[in-house]
Amino acid sequence: MSILSKFVNWLSAVFLRKHKFSLGLYGQVNAGKTSLANRISLDWLGEEVGKVSEIPHETRSVTKKEHVIVKAGGRTLEMNLLDMPGIATKIDYKDFLRYGIRKDAAQARAKEATKGIIEAIKWLEKVDVALVVMDSTQDPLTQVNITVLGNLEARKIPVILVANKIDDKSAKPERVRDAFPQYAVVEVSALTGEHIEKLYEAIAKSVG
Amino acid sequence: MAEIQIEFLSSSVLSGKQPKQKLSSILDLVKKGKIVVLEEPLSATEEAELISSTMSSIGSKFPGIEISRLGESSEGIRAAAIKLLGGKTAGLTIVGPSSLVRQIKRNPGKLSVFAGK
Repeated sequence: MSILSKFVNWLSAVFLRKHKFSLGLYGQVNAGKTSLANRISLDWLGEEVGKVSEIPHETRSVTKKEHVIVKAGGRTLEMNLLDMPGIATKIDYKDFLRYGIRKDAAQARAKEATKGIIEAIKWLEKVDVALVVMDSTQDPLTQVNITVLGNLEARKIPVILVANKIDDKSAKPERVRDAFPQYAVVEVSALTGEHIEKLYEAIAKSVG
Repeated sequence: MAEIQIEFLSSSVLSGKQPKQKLSSILDLVKKGKIVVLEEPLSATEEAELISSTMSSIGSKFPGIEISRLGESSEGIRAAAIKLLGGKTAGLTIVGPSSLVRQIKRNPGKLSVFAGK
């Protein structure tokens, strides 16, 4: 960020009580990042960020929505919303075949997904605040989650853990709290919007 | 019966290498079908770099890795001081090819590796 843009942000913050920052959505594949990005974008811009699919790696490049104005915690926040590709340590094109995708298309999807993961990792040092989205129906103590959190912590980037999919009967959001007690955890359903206001308040709190 | 080869790497083997060399030597062994056990926890930054390098290497014969770390990430001033004084940070890292290592289950103090073809 240039000195001039930092100065403009400072002026906005001081005189307009408006805080401008980038918000990155990180997490494993199919944790519900795009559903959550869509929920936030629909609430404040009236339009979606990207397509949601049961097929893994639907989001294969960083998708951005700029100038999302959020009012929460008595403040006005202006953010660039960054929906990141899900991070994984393996991508086998054969896994896509079971969804009825042709072999050549599955191989192309796998190739794009690998590039998306590299891009998401590069962006780890560029976001101002990170939402690490976890699927409450799954064990949160995975190496991908630990690696993402470790990288954000090393860069001193504020983190909010989002225990997503609480609408699912098998959800156990308390496992997220138990696994990562040192972080703020917000339980939400990106699908139904349950507790989404609490997330906006947590975001407002995290930007200081 | 499928053979499984496990390679244990001591901290001293890795300590002389540059970070990129260290990660590429780990990945080279894993691409050869070996499960690598490091006598130290990788840092979160190294793990992210290893995942990036893995993504660049993925093809029809190499679908990726399974990785898990036991112990605190070897990052920060404390870890740097320990290494500077010739010591090593407590913990270990397991990396294996995902075609062989189906899952690494973790509890705070225990890793269980499920491998086989």
